[in-house]
Amino acid sequence: MSQTKSIRVQRYLPEQEPEPFWQNYEVPFDESTSILDALNYIKDELDNTLSYRWSCRMAICGSCGVMVNGIPKLGCKTFLREYGTRVDISALAHFPVERDLVVDMDIFMEHLEAVKPYIIDKSKGRPTGESDTYRQTPAQMARYHQFSNCINCGLCYAACPQFGLNNQFLGPAAITLAQRYNLDNRDKGKRERMAALSEHDGVWSCTFVGFCSTVCPKHVDPAAAVNQGKIEAAKYTLINLLNG
Amino acid sequence: MMKHHIAKDEPLWWALFSAGGICFAMLVPAAILVFGLLMPMGIIPASAFDYESLRGLGLGWPGLIFAGGVIALPAFHALHRIRHSCADLMLGKESVNKVWAYGLASLMSLMAVGVVLVNLF
Ligand code: SF4
Ligand code: FES
Repeated sequence: MSQTKSIRVQRYLPEQEPEPFWQNYEVPFDESTSILDALNYIKDELDNTLSYRWSCRMAICGSCGVMVNGIPKLGCKTFLREYGTRVDISALAHFPVERDLVVDMDIFMEHLEAVKPYIIDKSKGRPTGESDTYRQTPAQMARYHQFSNCINCGLCYAACPQFGLNNQFLGPAAITLAQRYNLDNRDKGKRERMAALSEHDGVWSCTFVGFCSTVCPKHVDPAAAVNQGKIEAAKYTLINLLNG
Repeated sequence: MMKHHIAKDEPLWWALFSAGGICFAMLVPAAILVFGLLMPMGIIPASAFDYESLRGLGLGWPGLIFAGGVIALPAFHALHRIRHSCADLMLGKESVNKVWAYGLASLMSLMAVGVVLVNLF
């Protein structure tokens, strides 16, 4: 690791400085050095006051999201070799920053909860769970499988200008999760989810920018889910109007 | 339980926007091709567009499809985009923007479709 790269990290230490500031670090790197490796190097070797989140190092836990040169990225899935001389790392956009690269994700969690992201089945004939389980064909699973790959990293919220303007907007991942369960043949809870989706701050706040799908590290395509959600919300609203 | 306020009007605007988007992609380019390129370049002879035959077409059923597909629905599409752009730029209030945007689209549609309808019936 003979080469080094200069990395700028946006620091925020509210008890020392009221304003965020940029700090430079010189980090050795090779072909396999990820942004997360660079942050770990800084923490271990250069400056142990740096705060950031991570866990799995393999794009599964969803906790290492940061902005790299202004684009939302997973630190562990993004490599220093992809960048030239400018590498600016800052906290995920559109979320309140607690400290350095650590953001407050509460509003994101609230939006996920609002769409009841679990199988709802109150029917009499539902499986009891012992030897009796749900059946699902590969074709039935294929309907929602892509949407179930979400790791709740929040990159799509940092990419979404509408969430940036109005954080009450349910947002890409929550709407995708609603679709994921609505499309699951084991689930009977669609009606319970559609009310939240059919609000102004539900699907209708989306203006189809599509950047959510560009930044998603798991190729979930939340923009497609939101558009499907619009069709479902339109149907739900029409049925509600007809029923008075 | 949380109270949800369903946005009752949005599906309508979105449906008009979507339909307008298809028209924008299919019919508007065809109209531009015929009236903006082929006719001025003389590839379609100007005699095919004399006043009387165009009037006959324009005030009949083809004219109704033209007014709906090339003027009315694209107007809703464009003004829906403009309304959303205003929201992006934080210009004006959503409730007010909706009124002028869809009001203008309705007015343009009424004028275009209205002229044909009056002559049809
Ligand atoms: S949809 Fe993609 S970008 Fe959004 S939270 Fe899920 S994995 Fe992350
Ligand atoms: S550390 Fe888990 S997704 Fe990056």
